[in-house]
Amino acid sequence: MRIVRVVLGAALAAGFVAPAMAQAKAKPPAPPAAAKDAAAKSKVKPGPVGPLAAALVGGDVDAAAKAAASLGDDPTPAAHEALLDALSTGLAPKAAAPALESLAKHPAPADVAVLLVYAGHRDDDVRAAAVAALGAYPDPLAKKAGVAALGDDTEKVRAAAASAVAKGKWREGVDRLMALLDKGDAAAPPALAALADADLAHSIAEHLGNAPAATLAVTLGMILKRADFPEPAKLEVVRAIAKIPGAEATGALTDYLEATPEKPPRKSRAEAEKIVEARLAGGGAQ
Amino acid sequence: MKKIVLLAALLAGCGGKAVFGLSSSNDNDPQALAKALDLRQMSAAPKPIGGSARAYVVTSGKPRHLIAFDLAGEKAAWNVAADVQSRVAVGGDFVVAREGTDLVARSASDGAVRWKMPIDGQFVGAAADDKRAYVVTQTGTDQKPTWYLIALDGGSGKQLWRTPSTGQLGAPAAQGGLVMAPFLTQWLSILDGATGAQLTRVRSTDDEITFAMTTSDAAWFGSKRSVVRLDEKAATGARGTSTTGMAKIPAQLEKATYAPDGFDAVQAGYSASDRVRILWRADAKGDAWKWQGGGVAVHYFRYVLGLDEAGAVRWAYSHPKVELVASAHTGAAIAAVSAGGEVIALDPATGAVRAHAQLDTGGAPVIGATFDADGWSPSGAGEPPSTVQALVAIARDRDARFEGVKELAVGTLAKLPGEQVTRDLLAMLADERTSAKLKETVIGVLASRDDPAGLPALIEALGVKSDVIAGTEPIAVGAVARAVGALAKQPLDEKQKAAAVDALIGQLRAPSTSVGDAVDVVHALAALGGAAAKAPLRTYLLVYRTDAEFAKADALVAATVDATLAAGADDRELVRFVADDARTQPAVADYAKKALAR
Repeated sequence: MRIVRVVLGAALAAGFVAPAMAQAKAKPPAPPAAAKDAAAKSKVKPGPVGPLAAALVGGDVDAAAKAAASLGDDPTPAAHEALLDALSTGLAPKAAAPALESLAKHPAPADVAVLLVYAGHRDDDVRAAAVAALGAYPDPLAKKAGVAALGDDTEKVRAAAASAVAKGKWREGVDRLMALLDKGDAAAPPALAALADADLAHSIAEHLGNAPAATLAVTLGMILKRADFPEPAKLEVVRAIAKIPGAEATGALTDYLEATPEKPPRKSRAEAEKIVEARLAGGGAQ
Repeated sequence: MKKIVLLAALLAGCGGKAVFGLSSSNDNDPQALAKALDLRQMSAAPKPIGGSARAYVVTSGKPRHLIAFDLAGEKAAWNVAADVQSRVAVGGDFVVAREGTDLVARSASDGAVRWKMPIDGQFVGAAADDKRAYVVTQTGTDQKPTWYLIALDGGSGKQLWRTPSTGQLGAPAAQGGLVMAPFLTQWLSILDGATGAQLTRVRSTDDEITFAMTTSDAAWFGSKRSVVRLDEKAATGARGTSTTGMAKIPAQLEKATYAPDGFDAVQAGYSASDRVRILWRADAKGDAWKWQGGGVAVHYFRYVLGLDEAGAVRWAYSHPKVELVASAHTGAAIAAVSAGGEVIALDPATGAVRAHAQLDTGGAPVIGATFDADGWSPSGAGEPPSTVQALVAIARDRDARFEGVKELAVGTLAKLPGEQVTRDLLAMLADERTSAKLKETVIGVLASRDDPAGLPALIEALGVKSDVIAGTEPIAVGAVARAVGALAKQPLDEKQKAAAVDALIGQLRAPSTSVGDAVDVVHALAALGGAAAKAPLRTYLLVYRTDAEFAKADALVAATVDATLAAGADDRELVRFVADDARTQPAVADYAKKALAR
């Protein structure tokens, strides 16, 4: 593999794998701090990556896929290097998807250029894996690509993009997530719920009438379930859900009641209880 | 022609009066023809027969109306209720047309009925000269029909003479005391308008005679194929030796005719055929045929297209919203009236609108018009129309009848330089109302334009990404890429070239780009060359060589490998690696090996 890298060095340097990738080829990057930390805490004893690296670039795609997954459990720079190297020179879709997931487990700046290549891959699974992985990288290009991928034609890629936006806490993605919310796209609720603060929750609630009721109820219900979401804002969310017609809204409140202990008493829970009782009794927006 | 021979054989057995017989000593006699033509009382300069330029416009409704519109004054001279069912023929101080079942003459000065003549049988056509009206009718049965050519005094309506024919007569034409009647689509009988005596005949030996018509300076006859000036050479009977015009008309406009078919009962009145007309003027004298103004124009529903002598579109006019229902070439202008009552005059050389007036029809649609406007030249100069805009309007017309002319418009647009033309072509591709067939035409011409001025528009088109949120998707990526690639051999602005490469790379990376389009993108990148273009090709090959779906796309594999190989020595090493590496799909490896061996 080293021979190949030397031979391909010039081509890769000029390729769309970007200068960062070329630098990685010319000089293997130092182990990222996160990787070092993970290596220290890992219960799996890092071993020699040679056989796995060889399997990864071998002709057996199934073996390559397994090797890709295994290398993700290895926090050593060598494992990371093997993944990056293989992805840089091309992996079959079946191996590329796990390799991308593994790569992002121990993110390093040089990964982004490769992830961007695979974020446009024609294979949906590969593209989804790359897009999801972008969320681990605090890189402007990663953010731009992740937010852009919210508009992908394929649902699973949009979902992956939404998860990346949520993971990266990219507020730049909020407008596009709101647009997906209005379309009733399943990618929107988890990401919006994860990103929501009181103001965003209020904005989401204001999409009543624009967004499908079910999607809106699910989104607000997910916000309610967040333990870190402030109680006063939760009360507003409960009241917003009360305005949404349909079983999904009732379900969102019921889920909230089930997930929240009665004590200490919370105004949001009490309000939710009243609304659910009223709806089950045939009143309210049900 | 067989039909004519059969009918001729039948008629030979029937005998009949000599005027419209099958044999005549007067056929194709140049001296007799010259003598007959000399009898005409002609104006020294082109002028309307009625004295002032007018359009006689017929509107629909109950009752129909006949409006005399003064073109110079841009106002109606008169407007009368009249059940006009035929074309209006214009005489010296009167007009004549079939109204209901009568032939009715009206005063040109006020539209009042001057006289009426009940039509015995079917109306075939009417004509008028300064003093007389002429009408052809058909009576009898289908088995034994008889046609009559009847002359009437324009002032009193008194019948002057009546000549029967057992062979079919077409609509007549009249000029300065002569009346001309197509006979059996093979002859043009020329009669003395005063007496009905046949002066001579032209017998066509190689084409039909389906119409006869006049301008103030000459008389003409012809067929769908050609138009012949009625001069001494017409007595040769052959198109090749007569003074003959055959305009080069694009195939898409082939329905257009030089004049109404005098044998078609439908065309005895105003009809859709008037909306597809070749508008022409030719020199009235001289040895050879010469189109005045260096070409002709074609009225095609809402559009008028100016054609040069080679048949290429030199200008285009698109009338807003409604169709032009009647048109005429006055010599100095192309006059037309729309269904909405707008009267326009176009410059025959440029298409510039030199006059525009609105006729008050009381809201009733115009169904047809006759122009008596020979020599009329509006005072307005007008700005030449935007031919590009007109062609775009034609190409984007939603009317399915216009597919042919839309193709012509697109083909013409393709030859016009400029960024806007490219943008308009791209807009046609983006318009979901554009038919699939027309899109194919547009795609074909995009690449053939070879116009660097259009590069920014192409780059912009390639810059569009598929996005379900924005609701965008790139249009015809392959065609646009081909168009960009075709420009590679031209000197391009370096910044634009770089932008083109970026845009192509964007589409190469986009998952929405189809395999077919990707082939074109790869070719375009290879054509543009440079490090920026080659690098993404290398990475594309490296990443996708392992993909079974890519391996199935033979053309894409070949394009990518070939383009990479052509880039240089380093790239040859890369292809060698691809050929040998275990991860590479067998089909890709095979192609790479073969390519290396070449």
